[in-house]
Amino acid sequence: MSKTFDKGTGIILLIISILFVLESLKISGSAYGSAIGPKTYPLILGIILGLLSLRLLYESFKSKAESKEKSDFDYKKFGVIFIAAILYVFLLEIIGYVLSTFLFLLIAFQVMEKGKILSTIIISAIFTFGVYFMYVSLLGGSLPKFSLF
Amino acid sequence: MGTIQFLMDGFATALQWHNILFALVGVIIGTAVGVLPGIGPMSGVALLIPVTATLTSGMPTESAAASSIILLAGVYYGAMYGGSTTSILLNTPGESSSVVTALDGYQMAQQGRAGAALSIAAIGSFVAGIISLIGLVLLAEPLSNIALEFGPAEYFSLMLLGLCAVSGLAGKSMTKALIMTVLGLLLGTIGIDAVSGIARFTYDIPVLYGGLEFLTIAVGLFALGEVFKTILEKETEDGSIAKISRVLPTKKDLKDSAKPIARGSLLGFFIGVLPGAGATLASFFSYITEKKFSKNPDSFGKGNIAGVAGPESANNAASGGAMIPLLTLGIPGSGTTAILMGALIMYNVQPGPLLFDDHPEIAWGLIASMFFGNLILLILNMPLVKVFAKIIQTPKKYLLPIIIAISFFGVYAVQYSTFDLYLILACGIFGYLFTKNDYPVAPLVLALVLGPMIENNMRRALTISNGEWSIFVTSPLSLVFLIIALAWILIPIILKLTGKKVIVNEEE
Repeated sequence: MSKTFDKGTGIILLIISILFVLESLKISGSAYGSAIGPKTYPLILGIILGLLSLRLLYESFKSKAESKEKSDFDYKKFGVIFIAAILYVFLLEIIGYVLSTFLFLLIAFQVMEKGKILSTIIISAIFTFGVYFMYVSLLGGSLPKFSLF
Repeated sequence: MGTIQFLMDGFATALQWHNILFALVGVIIGTAVGVLPGIGPMSGVALLIPVTATLTSGMPTESAAASSIILLAGVYYGAMYGGSTTSILLNTPGESSSVVTALDGYQMAQQGRAGAALSIAAIGSFVAGIISLIGLVLLAEPLSNIALEFGPAEYFSLMLLGLCAVSGLAGKSMTKALIMTVLGLLLGTIGIDAVSGIARFTYDIPVLYGGLEFLTIAVGLFALGEVFKTILEKETEDGSIAKISRVLPTKKDLKDSAKPIARGSLLGFFIGVLPGAGATLASFFSYITEKKFSKNPDSFGKGNIAGVAGPESANNAASGGAMIPLLTLGIPGSGTTAILMGALIMYNVQPGPLLFDDHPEIAWGLIASMFFGNLILLILNMPLVKVFAKIIQTPKKYLLPIIIAISFFGVYAVQYSTFDLYLILACGIFGYLFTKNDYPVAPLVLALVLGPMIENNMRRALTISNGEWSIFVTSPLSLVFLIIALAWILIPIILKLTGKKVIVNEEE
């Protein structure tokens, strides 16, 4: 869609490929008995990626910018859910699977669409306890428990 | 033991009660995945790998792998059935492989023939599924016998061919597809080198020593990428669902669609066997073929039943055909089969020629279960088509957060580390950004799965030849593979230069 993205990606990939080549040169050389050591393959890949990113840059500069279609993005909704997801991961091993999952679902449901508090609570609870019961009690797996104290 | 004997043993495996259950659950979820717009077969299968890993955790490895792959393959071909439902009823294809079906299917629904269209799609899919399975049974032994002769050089070239084929056909820009392939290969080098035991690109971070887990990347890129897309982009979709009155097709419908189904099945099967060309391309070609063969091509796009029967058979046959290179050569030809392969590797089962000798239970059990699964799908789809149509109305409000929660649970249950959870979130963002800007993600996943094997074979070949790179071109078979690989990249470029239109395979 946007050429700026392509240009950005091209530059970032070019940097990555240079770093990759430099880093693979640092990997110690050939293993005994083999002419080809652990660094050959990443080195080749790094070079190919560099060439491809140059090609991408060339393509993105050559072609004229297309008319940008303005679409409606819901950054706020996405941002809240994404942060909630990060918090969920962060809290998972602290407050346990049940509580963190329940809270995450509750928040995410409400962010997606406000209202119907009761049904969101019920669905979050069913999912959370359902998974926990199935996995921990029936299948004998283990999930993080509440461990704040 | 002959093929028949093996197949019978396969049926014995497939008909164990828990495997029947797994196949049943697989195809039902698959149909649901196909019906739900937003989750494609790739994210569906990726999402279910951890779930099946959990479900089969108590079993011995061999049968756990067999049961999981039976379920996952069920999701794969089940999605092909389900994809047609939304195309016909809503004019919004659930999968890219059903885009063509919408052309005539939706028109039929408008004329009150939704039931006929749906059941013809189901019958066509069933026939195609069976035909492609027969092909699979016939080709499996000979192909894997040939593949047993391959040395590391041949394998290296063959895998390169697989990657080139997928990149050559994926997405709008080949540069981008190749970049994604190389990125996947690069990500695959992170971790401890299998040959020398030297840590590469780990920077003393303990979680990186094992390498990036394929499952995490796949779930993040596909499942979360789709979820993020749906949350971010407000879609205005509220098509009215067409009414289904009569489910069974008339005699005339059946007569009209018999030949398209046969043609579509064969065409789809052969396209499916080719690496890179998948179900989408198959359904597209079938539609064109039917239009050519038809006595009145003008009726296409206005509710011609052949326009539903052909493509729907073709995309199902293609998904069966795609299993052949996966099972016999160990080379996945598409994104979804790459994920299936990743699942097998997770169980320490290496797909490829030895699969039929080392793990006949898995290989033949899977094949037998597909016969059975297709039958279940036919039975389920005819009467339950109305129920599945209801799934379309699942509110996104509940669906999306639950998909996030399932991916978190699944990945955590398998990996047991929060690092992987952060990683899927990051991959979700990348998956969204890449797809949005026409960078196909399927080649990345394919490359991530194949990467370590490519490197191992390359180094083994070079060790045999004392570091002479010419080994890849002096072995005739390897040379042929390399030439085909090169052709796969060059021909589309040449065609583009001469101004011809190139059909690309969209994500499936």
